[in-house]
Amino acid sequence: MDEQWITSVGIDLGTSTMKLIVSRLRLARKSSSLGLPRYEIVERLLHYVSEVCSTPLLSEQEIDVVHVSRWLQEEYRKAEVTLSDIKSGAVIITGETATKQNARQVLHSLADKAGDFVVATAGADLESLLSGKGSGASQRSLQSRGVVCNVDIGGGTANASFFQRGRMIATVTFHVGGKLIRLRPSGEVVYISAAIRPWLLANGYLLEIGQMLSFEYTREIAKQLNRSMLEVLSGDQQSSGRLLIVNEALPEMPHIDEMMISGGVGSMIDVVQPKSLAEMVVYDDIGPILAGTLREEAHPFTFRLVRPEHTARATVIGAGMQSTEISGATIHLASGVLPMKNIPVIRLEDDDIKKTIEFGLQVYDLDACPPFALFIPLMKVVTYENIRRLSESIMTNYRQLVPQCRTLVVVCENDMGKALGQALQLRSSGEMTILCIDQLKVDFGDYLDLGEPIRDTMIPVVVKTLAFQSG
Amino acid sequence: MKSYDIQEMTDMIIKQLELRLKGIPEKAKPTIDEARISDEAFNPTNRLVSSLSERSELNVPTPRSTEMLQELRDATPARIGVWRTGTRPLTKEMLRFRCDHASAVDTVYGEVRSELLEKYELFQIETQYENTENYLKRPDMGRLLTDESAKRILKHCKKGAQVQIVVSDGLSANAVEHNLADVYPALLDSLQALGLKAGTPIFVKGGRVASMDHIGEVLQPDVLVMLIGERPGLVSSSSMSAYMCYRPRKGMLESNRTVLSNIHHGGTPPVEAGAHIGTIVQKMLEQKTSGVKLVI
Repeated sequence: MDEQWITSVGIDLGTSTMKLIVSRLRLARKSSSLGLPRYEIVERLLHYVSEVCSTPLLSEQEIDVVHVSRWLQEEYRKAEVTLSDIKSGAVIITGETATKQNARQVLHSLADKAGDFVVATAGADLESLLSGKGSGASQRSLQSRGVVCNVDIGGGTANASFFQRGRMIATVTFHVGGKLIRLRPSGEVVYISAAIRPWLLANGYLLEIGQMLSFEYTREIAKQLNRSMLEVLSGDQQSSGRLLIVNEALPEMPHIDEMMISGGVGSMIDVVQPKSLAEMVVYDDIGPILAGTLREEAHPFTFRLVRPEHTARATVIGAGMQSTEISGATIHLASGVLPMKNIPVIRLEDDDIKKTIEFGLQVYDLDACPPFALFIPLMKVVTYENIRRLSESIMTNYRQLVPQCRTLVVVCENDMGKALGQALQLRSSGEMTILCIDQLKVDFGDYLDLGEPIRDTMIPVVVKTLAFQSG
Repeated sequence: MKSYDIQEMTDMIIKQLELRLKGIPEKAKPTIDEARISDEAFNPTNRLVSSLSERSELNVPTPRSTEMLQELRDATPARIGVWRTGTRPLTKEMLRFRCDHASAVDTVYGEVRSELLEKYELFQIETQYENTENYLKRPDMGRLLTDESAKRILKHCKKGAQVQIVVSDGLSANAVEHNLADVYPALLDSLQALGLKAGTPIFVKGGRVASMDHIGEVLQPDVLVMLIGERPGLVSSSSMSAYMCYRPRKGMLESNRTVLSNIHHGGTPPVEAGAHIGTIVQKMLEQKTSGVKLVI
């Protein structure tokens, strides 16, 4: 009665591999029977894990959509789930794949094919967050006092996320990955990613396509690549590793107590130890040698390396099992409008609804309906008077400034969604469709996906932190 | 619509991003509402010890981890991490404890101001409680209206209402003083939004929960909602409960009552509680039952 299971899916389309998981999330009532209902996700079970497959490419620039869709159908069949079972989940496109010409198109078409409320996500920040949750770094940081840093090293990028007491406090992404340099079994270089050329140059590695690489030289590059990245992570401002940073460098790195390495490269640490060219080029790239030299390179640093719970599948597990949150259970819902995807968030500033809405209309798409969701951050005291004033101000200004849209989405941090929702409803003279959800913390720049109601009382929500930030 | 120039917009974006990076919450300004909610304005006895009534600072002299201790303390209003002197509590902690206890005792003897009752046009009646001493000793007398009160509601209040709202001081007049202004109008809004009709609102002095049975017997409403002050405790002396019942009549079993408890600004949020009561009432009307049989 006070318990419900929902099925969630995670799909990760990375630079070199793609994978999928199906998980089952258990919702249970966490509040006392004498209090307001409040549900939480109390258990996350891994139901099905796919093989790790190579990402099919039509060319260097294009992903093979048809092949990916076929794979998806096949995996759903193996997992014994049907589209209607899937109530939540996320498709994430990671690493260098995100820069392919048809990346966004593939992402959205895949999200639509994967289920009604499977959302498309991209962006280095979210990728880092999900990999850190999937690897277990977030959970581990809850059990210790210090900072746990997870570095998810894949084919194209390495996503570092810093966790403290279960919360991500910083993130940075590097151009470090197995597929940045690709080789023939003979040692001949066939591909060098443009992203690492400045770093190669700065370190005096003169690499050209067609050049023959020796095992020792490649090992030297791999060691230096690891060292550069670890130097930046431990706060060295002078390191040439700064040339590898994808997004912005952090002004100050948090002090790391423990480090986890996940991702494809993470899965090979302590497993492979290439000692010759032949052993190194099994995937025609530098992945195995990066993994083989990482532990040795990490040794001089002050942090401890700890084993992650999941390695190669950390991001997909994060996307499938950890991306969904549940709204409060006393909220205001209009029927028939959910799910809604990709709604940008504006945050109420200085208690000035008019200014906030005007600002939102300048930043986001005017023609979208709703153009944004209005987030009302934590109020110290919620009185009826506050709710009355707030609802009047929102209704008057929204109708005046966004006359073309009859749908209003409000997200509150306080448990007041139902009260505010009904106050808005009463002031809308029945002309507006109002969604007012609560007990969620979002922020300006986030994108929201709102799922279909569970038991008519609450909805699953995926918060996409700064998604598509880099476009 | 006012348009911003580029400079202004850039400034706003940077301000927003800075705020989220630093995670600094905007400074909350104290409002009149806050004054109502803080005990000082309402409970003059607390004014003497207002410095004590705030939560104590960290007393542990050299905690292994200040943040973790703070995290534990933030997780509960219970008196943890209060430290000691020898085998006994610190004097200030002992005073704080006795102060909270005194405040709980005082609450029982408090009265709801008549201005508040007039503001919300509550029809005032009383039970056979006689006085507070007797009220405490004879719960049975707080369950029955005086003959005069029963006659008055029969004459002046709407009979057979869909929803009958009753407010009572119960064991904490403070609870009514603090929370009525948030719970009651939110409840009226939710009834209006759901298209439900309320009868004449009543205030019953010296009421026990089961006085709703007597009122139900006289006025025959479909659903009765009673907002009553809870027994005060050491954490809060102004906590309110909402007892709800489908067709309350004499001899009603306790298991037929539905309750939403711990309504105060540090517990179940009062405004949201008011809004949610409407939904519960609607379910009672649909299912024609209440208490343990009601499916919410």
